[in-house]
Amino acid sequence: MIDARKQDRLTLALGIAVFAFAGLCWFYALKFAPPDAAQGEVYRIIYFHVPSAITAFLSSAVLAVLSLWTLFKRSPTAAVWSKASAEVGLIFTVLTLVTGSIWGRPTWGVWWDWDARLTTTLLLALLYAGYLIFTSSMSPGPQRDRMSAALGVIIGLDVPIIYKSVTWWRTLHQPPSLLRSGGSSMDPDMVKILMTCLVAMILIGAWLLWTRSVNLKLQASIEEHSHSVHSH
Amino acid sequence: MKTFLAQYRALLWQAVQVEWANAERWLSPLLFSGTMILLFVFTFGTVEPKFIPQLYIAATFLTAFFSLQISFSRVLEPDMQDRVFDQLRTYPISPSAWFLSKYTIVIALGVLILAPTLFLSDLFLNVSGKSLLNGSLAIIALMALLSLGALGVLLSTMMLRSNAKQILYPLIYFPLTIPVLLSAVESSHAILVDGKDLSYLMSSWLGLLVIFGIMYFTLCLLLFGELVKPE
Repeated sequence: MIDARKQDRLTLALGIAVFAFAGLCWFYALKFAPPDAAQGEVYRIIYFHVPSAITAFLSSAVLAVLSLWTLFKRSPTAAVWSKASAEVGLIFTVLTLVTGSIWGRPTWGVWWDWDARLTTTLLLALLYAGYLIFTSSMSPGPQRDRMSAALGVIIGLDVPIIYKSVTWWRTLHQPPSLLRSGGSSMDPDMVKILMTCLVAMILIGAWLLWTRSVNLKLQASIEEHSHSVHSH
Repeated sequence: MKTFLAQYRALLWQAVQVEWANAERWLSPLLFSGTMILLFVFTFGTVEPKFIPQLYIAATFLTAFFSLQISFSRVLEPDMQDRVFDQLRTYPISPSAWFLSKYTIVIALGVLILAPTLFLSDLFLNVSGKSLLNGSLAIIALMALLSLGALGVLLSTMMLRSNAKQILYPLIYFPLTIPVLLSAVESSHAILVDGKDLSYLMSSWLGLLVIFGIMYFTLCLLLFGELVKPE
């Protein structure tokens, strides 16, 4: 009991530290980052939108790796972490879509467009939702873990196509500003702030992943205990 | 290799017999497809000739997508009903042979649905007299079918034990197949409306269709074995 309390306090303290750091980053980005030559002040949503998108994509990579781990090592712990990473991925994908839509209205003149990257990001959100419903709709056990892991691998492989879609086709979405041949097209100050915000967002994602995994493991052990009590 | 082929032939023959014994399983998607096209014709009435290719593409792919989804979602149903699925899992058979036999039957059923859909759409929607059907369009439709079929087999295997398969199958199948469907629609549009050829399209939408076809087939072949392993 004492250990659980200690762990709770540690989780809470880590959460406060991570969110305080993120809050400071966004405050600095909104107040002190230089304005964009073309977009003026509206571009500042980039400090939330881009880190959310990268964290959403990272979550799918984590999901794919954990799913492969579940498939080949038959690890129930990896299956729990996979589910948690899908939940975190869904949160960040939805954040990406919402912030992208808010940014798109003043810059493109529309809230939404059936652009390749937007569409594939929406598909990623639907896939995360499908994965979570699928996992919840099956009885716990190794078979559910295997089936979910197979789906996780497919979702993980969808993400590189999302990223490359912008360079494969001419779209409304601007080409990558950071990772491109010939170096970044962004102001170095902007890049530094963006990178700090990205670190903050990844830390939030990692904290959410950790917290949710602990909860899911607890839930799994309660289910197992309840099942054994009922079977006796 | 000999054993693999023998297993593949036996499993395919079993699948053909099951499908033959349950004709409504492939007849119902076919009837659905015909009804959908009739509804399209009835709803749109007389269409300006310049919009016919666009309507043809939309009606055909939409109809084909839903008909194929109905057909694919049922691919392992007879095996489950007769408990053949659980028995096969315990036999020392190659999962690849099992997957390929199901994939072959799914592609055959897909062609059985897709070919009449393409033909009926052309017959009913295209009043200009000049057929829209051509080899390039058939290749695009077949490429799309190869991707959709691989996913169809894998997802229907996944959904076997799910409590919510009626909702889940379309929910997961839809986003996974949208890139395939979009590529097929865009490629067909480029051929029928913009007058492009297949070699030009390989560097754009058709390229994506081929990439998805290879990716889904390989993934599904590899993952199927994991799904059917005994506990």
